[in-house]
Amino acid sequence: MTELLPQEQIDSFKARAAAIAHPHELIVDLLRAIQAHYGWVPDDGVLLTAATLGVLPIEVEEVATFYDKIFRRTVGRRVIHVCDSICCWSIGAEMILAHLQQSLGIGLGETTADGAFTLLPTCCLGACGDAPAMMIGLTTHGRLTPEKIDETLQRERAAIAAEVAK
Amino acid sequence: MPKLTIDNLEVTVPEGTNVLEAACALDIAIPHFCYHEALGAVGSCRLCAMMFTDGPVKGLQMACMVKAQDGMVVSSTHPDAMELREHVIEWAMTNHPHDCPVCDEGGECQLQEMTVAGGHSKRRFRGKKATFTNQDLGPFIQQEMNRCITCYRCVRTYRDYCGGTDYGVLGSRNRIFYGRFQEGKLESPFSGNIIDACPTGVLTSKPFRFKTRLWDLQEAPSICPHCSLGCAIVPGGRYREVQRVRAGINRETNGFFICDRGRFGYDHVNHPERPRQPRIGGQPVALETALDAVRDRIAVLVEAHGPNSIAFLGSSRASLEANALLRDWASAYGSEQLAYEAHQGRDYAARTLAARVGGHACSLGDLRQSDLIILFGADPLAEGPMLAVAIRQAVRGGAKVVTIDPRPVELPCTTLHIPLPASRLPELLAALGSGDLSAFDAQERATFAPLLDQIKAARRPAMVGGADLLGGQGIAALCSAAADLSTASRAVGVMALLGGPNSYGGALLAGDGPGFDTLLDAIQERTVRALVCLESDPFCEALDPARAQAALGHLELLVCIDSTPSLAAQRADIFLPSRANAEMSGSYINNEGRLQEFLPVIDPGLPIKVTGAGDHPPREFFQTTPGSAPAADWWLLAKLLERATILAELRKTMAKYDERFSMLSFLAAGTTGLRLPVKVALPPVADRGLPHADGSDNQTLLATTGPLGSHWLAHLSAPLAATEPQPYVCLHPDFAAALGLASGDRARLTTRFGHCHVEVRLSAQMVSGLVLAPQLWDTALEGLAPGSLHDCRLEKEARA
Repeated sequence: MTELLPQEQIDSFKARAAAIAHPHELIVDLLRAIQAHYGWVPDDGVLLTAATLGVLPIEVEEVATFYDKIFRRTVGRRVIHVCDSICCWSIGAEMILAHLQQSLGIGLGETTADGAFTLLPTCCLGACGDAPAMMIGLTTHGRLTPEKIDETLQRERAAIAAEVAK
Repeated sequence: MPKLTIDNLEVTVPEGTNVLEAACALDIAIPHFCYHEALGAVGSCRLCAMMFTDGPVKGLQMACMVKAQDGMVVSSTHPDAMELREHVIEWAMTNHPHDCPVCDEGGECQLQEMTVAGGHSKRRFRGKKATFTNQDLGPFIQQEMNRCITCYRCVRTYRDYCGGTDYGVLGSRNRIFYGRFQEGKLESPFSGNIIDACPTGVLTSKPFRFKTRLWDLQEAPSICPHCSLGCAIVPGGRYREVQRVRAGINRETNGFFICDRGRFGYDHVNHPERPRQPRIGGQPVALETALDAVRDRIAVLVEAHGPNSIAFLGSSRASLEANALLRDWASAYGSEQLAYEAHQGRDYAARTLAARVGGHACSLGDLRQSDLIILFGADPLAEGPMLAVAIRQAVRGGAKVVTIDPRPVELPCTTLHIPLPASRLPELLAALGSGDLSAFDAQERATFAPLLDQIKAARRPAMVGGADLLGGQGIAALCSAAADLSTASRAVGVMALLGGPNSYGGALLAGDGPGFDTLLDAIQERTVRALVCLESDPFCEALDPARAQAALGHLELLVCIDSTPSLAAQRADIFLPSRANAEMSGSYINNEGRLQEFLPVIDPGLPIKVTGAGDHPPREFFQTTPGSAPAADWWLLAKLLERATILAELRKTMAKYDERFSMLSFLAAGTTGLRLPVKVALPPVADRGLPHADGSDNQTLLATTGPLGSHWLAHLSAPLAATEPQPYVCLHPDFAAALGLASGDRARLTTRFGHCHVEVRLSAQMVSGLVLAPQLWDTALEGLAPGSLHDCRLEKEARA
């Protein structure tokens, strides 16, 4: 996985950028495409985005560093976003976080030694009705309990093992 | 004109004024960070809260976000407003370190003032403060991000106002970081403004670091000596050296900001080789001895060869008062050999402008309001950087900008560039003025015809010319075109970028006198035997330095008054040291005819860092300060003329005998200055034109002013000298390809000055078939007087 993004995707973004008045609108999309393909966004990914869309590198970096779902550092195969906002906090998010940290053996912002999980806090996943909540990849998990977390982590571990075996 | 009441005081303000501005008009001090007169109001700092007790708006509001309306009753001291402000400032202070005693901003920290004004004194936040890793932002700016309160002023200044593209705001929440994508020098030529804009010690001046606590700094309002725009600056000095410059405020010229050349160009004052002793034949002498020698030797020559055997060369960086005294001195002998700029193209351009511009003269303040700006042979970033920022403000207000130039012209805004050889600029101006484009081919007509329509349709159009490329003829064509295109309902503004801070003043004094080339002829023919140079260096500044050096070798007497280690100062038979403008009072007339005063910041003297060599200065006691001999240029001339050495007296005399200077006595430093009354001076003598190539060699080289390295005073400033480029040439890609050259290649440039190694740069914006090279002091390109054409040969060199 050495290339940041396949050439046909770069070309497609170039064409889309040329067709719209504000190519800045595509910064997030392109960063996410790079992230989906490459795993995270290195400096070269920022420069590639700027060159593809015809915007300034600093403008891309402003967007990339603003959103916590764009990773400017290497992350594990699964990124766990734990909500620490008001609704989740009022119904036991701290306990959920403590349990996650304990079962993964890492703190916030860290990645497990096997490169499987990265744990990040997030402010509101829009799942207040299902608080406490977390998100792994693009899947939201609500009404969390320690048991439910163990179950989910086990499932993810199995999926990762299958990916690695491939 | 709404009328409102703030804190029980009534005030009437212009339509569109916000309540914060109205309060400021009443001298009511309301803490604020995000509001800035130049940057506008954004309502993000939440600090200017006021209670609206009656009228069209009610309740607690941010004063900067509310337009003043009739009948408003506002309180800045309402308990709710005071309490909110206290909380907001406490909040801004949560992450701010308590390093005030060692902070570089200490003494002019707005955050400290606002904290005290906001009533916050006790820290309640017990959490960890956010900390950051700083970036190296280059030689000018020191970053200390931990002190940041995220007010956004730096980004609004750097990017929005000045048009920089490599600085931004990263992260979110308490991780917000202001900086570059990757470490490195801030590229904008206006980067230093973020030092002034930052309300606290995040962005401070690197060259000024650890030099002086700010309450020990001596400051005075002054005028920047680095170009003809006359921006307001405030130099600061201590320990007998000028240590920094910050922007002054003049709404008619620079506004609130200055360029990096003005900000970091102060160090010529402290130059280690600056001549500080009067000298005769290279030997130090007492000032009185030198003054007597000047008088005696000139008297002998006048006696033997007549008054016209003495020539006088003033300059665009000497004060108006000194230049006027030089004229008085020449006429006291009866000499007509008087010129004010060694570069004849610039001289005629300035004189033509002063004679012809009349009511069309427009200031930078006017330009910021223009809706169409056309630049003819003017490169603002090189010849007057703050013009580029003014043009950007016009563009932000919706203006269109067109640059017509043989060179690529970079501006911090969107422009339309039309490449055209310099020799055709006057022709184009004449055609635009008459509306007859028949002299141009069909393709050119298709380019210029819409331009003509745009000018006619514009409501506040302005035309800008550069002295280097236009010369006297071009400036005459510029003024004529502006007059022809003006209508009864709206005038076309004119601005010209001249050679120096006082080119206009010199032009008024020169009238229809000879150009310096005529003086050189007379020196060559030995009819002129002595030359007095007032802060000018004919050896280097003349259009043809080789010819000047040959001719000047015939002089029997060279007298030089200067504050820099120029070649003329080194070669002078009698040398008199003068003060830099930061060391004296005086006045300049800028390129729009604005008379402005500057005041002294320090007295001259060998800097303590020199006498003490890094340690405590020697414990010796003298009546005089070492290196304090330099005197104001007008003082020296008044002495030579045996007049009273009192500036007010000299000004009174000037005002009495020349009505154009009648306002001199009303001049005050730190104000907007005084626009000279529109008064037609004598038409200057016919322009001889710029030296042209004779076609004997392979290529034609156009010498030009570079953004850095071409300006003598700036070149003598250590912080700027470190950023000057190596010799380079710029070519059109097609032309480069024909020569077998590519971008980044090393090439050997041969001119009549010799050989030189240059880097090849390419620009598709420039005229093809031309080699463009900047004049660069202390390199093989220093003989290239801007605006001159030379034959040259450019050959590719193998890469090392």
